[in-house]
Amino acid sequence: MEEDVKKVKKPGIVSPFKRVFLKGEKGRDKKAQEKATERRALHTFSLSQPDHRIDPDILLNDYIEKEVKYLGQLTSVPGYLNPSSRTEVLQLIDNARKSHQLSGQLSSELDAVVSLSAYNIKLVWRDGEDIILRVPIHDIAAVSYIRDDSLHLVVIKTAQESGGSPCPSSCPDLNKSQTLSSLSEGGAVLVEVCCLLVLAVDNKAAAEELCLLLSQVFQIVYTESTIDFLDRAIFDGATTPTRHLSLYSDDSSSKVDVKEAFEEEEASTFPFQVSMEAEGNSPSASTPASPQTKTASEGELSTTAAELLQDYMTTLRTKLSSQEIQQFATLLHEYRNGSSIHEFCINLRQLYGDSRKFLLLGLRPFIPEKDSQHFENFLETIGVKDGRGIITDSFGRYRRTASSASDSTTNGNGAAGGSAASDEGREGDEWDRMITDISNDIEALGCSMDQEGVAP
Amino acid sequence: MTMEDTKNEADAAAIVSMALYTVMYPVFNQLEKVNLSAAQTLRAAIIKAEKENPGLTQDIVMKILEKKNLKINYNECLLRMAADDVKEFTIDRREPEFQELNERARALKHILSTIPDEIHDRGGFLQSIKDIASAIKELLDTVNTVFRKYQHHNRRALEQQKKEFVKNSKSFSVTLKTYFRDGNSASIKSAIAE
Repeated sequence: MEEDVKKVKKPGIVSPFKRVFLKGEKGRDKKAQEKATERRALHTFSLSQPDHRIDPDILLNDYIEKEVKYLGQLTSVPGYLNPSSRTEVLQLIDNARKSHQLSGQLSSELDAVVSLSAYNIKLVWRDGEDIILRVPIHDIAAVSYIRDDSLHLVVIKTAQESGGSPCPSSCPDLNKSQTLSSLSEGGAVLVEVCCLLVLAVDNKAAAEELCLLLSQVFQIVYTESTIDFLDRAIFDGATTPTRHLSLYSDDSSSKVDVKEAFEEEEASTFPFQVSMEAEGNSPSASTPASPQTKTASEGELSTTAAELLQDYMTTLRTKLSSQEIQQFATLLHEYRNGSSIHEFCINLRQLYGDSRKFLLLGLRPFIPEKDSQHFENFLETIGVKDGRGIITDSFGRYRRTASSASDSTTNGNGAAGGSAASDEGREGDEWDRMITDISNDIEALGCSMDQEGVAP
Repeated sequence: MTMEDTKNEADAAAIVSMALYTVMYPVFNQLEKVNLSAAQTLRAAIIKAEKENPGLTQDIVMKILEKKNLKINYNECLLRMAADDVKEFTIDRREPEFQELNERARALKHILSTIPDEIHDRGGFLQSIKDIASAIKELLDTVNTVFRKYQHHNRRALEQQKKEFVKNSKSFSVTLKTYFRDGNSASIKSAIAE
């Protein structure tokens, strides 16, 4: 009987305490529900299992979002921290939680969205979408997943500040990073510092998914940059002139048809023919008063110039879309018609972007002497070396200094000194013709690419 | 035959004749220790036959492999073996620039020969590509130095060789992009052999 009584719910009477608590809980649930319905849907895609593969195009041309909890960012972390060491990382995190640098409790207030693309990871608050931070991919050194009981942490080791290096002290980019001095028994020791971005996710699957996505981003980015690095090395070595291509001319009577010297690098041929006047060489060794000294045969010099042009055209074809080639032709046209070298450089830099700025190197032989100094300075300011060394890669590890064996077009330009007044007119004519040829060829290249329907 | 046809033929000959330099030359060297006269006769005969019929040596080698039922990756083996020095392709001149050229070429061949082992490890492979890039640049720099410092009656031929090298390097780069897109390693090994 008593059991029956216990089982029967007595209607109508509710404990006041219960009433208050239930009301509070209902209120919170309601609020959470309202919040959930207010939050926008994430920009996400289905990933192929089991390795969570995503179409690289999404990372390159789009982005993917995942929900996380942002616990905080630790700064001035020693660069030698081993991100694979669970003990080391957890020790740092525990200390940070004790000192309230990191949140202790996981609440909905920590809800954030991580947006991932081949360019950066961006963290924004889930509610309000205020940005927390953005880290370029090249600033990320490592990503770790640590399971601490029920906590699933994703820890991202990054540079201390944008442009700094999160690599260990063996990285030659040391001068870019802040350093932290510490005394050891042997004396002062300089170490690099880095940051740790600490995120929490719901479960192991979510953590692995995030890590694998980042791994794919690294693959794309560093594969692309490695191939670019190879292309730059080939381009730089191939286009380093054996002698300075001066445009002084003392004999405009002979023409050399250099079509025969062209190589067909791909099945299609360039729909143009470049005729160049053979010209006298005015090498750096000559004095301004006697520019007619020749140290190379006219044919060889014309062939070299044609080869450089051919090389540059080939490279443009592989690196630029047809629309971009048209834009390049337009910029070149404007430069010829009076716009400044400065504007030309800036516009070209914008057209090529960061990943293709090395293409500017190929223009060197075609920049007239009066603008060459500005051009060289511009190359230096945008981080493209003066052509005598390999440009740094994404890691900043292949910063080559000028080889003593390499030729110096800058010196060639400078040492040639000012030309005699009578030569300037001929130089200008030759320059005009070369640029006309280049513009025509490039426009034709753009048209032929449109016809072929080639997509870069 | 147009100049273009001649050039294409020369390209093809260079590639298929790799078997002669890479596989047979070391065999001849070993045979010379056994019977000098016979080995030299055989060497001269095969070199002449290869010159007249480019690819003959490769065909012979492939047939031997087939006969012995050896299941090996021919391009991989060629690559690994190509790291060895070939006396006929070593420059004899003692000037430092020419010796440096020998060293640069040797270094590049050595790195290329490690590709079959590295290709399946993405990180290691990317590092190898960077090393290859550096080696190519250094080799081309040295070639340019030689051009600049030394006048040679056969300069045009040397420039042509440089152009060939640059062209094949670019082709290698294109093949790499295709590989990273499609994952077909056979094309990479073939491109490296070129």
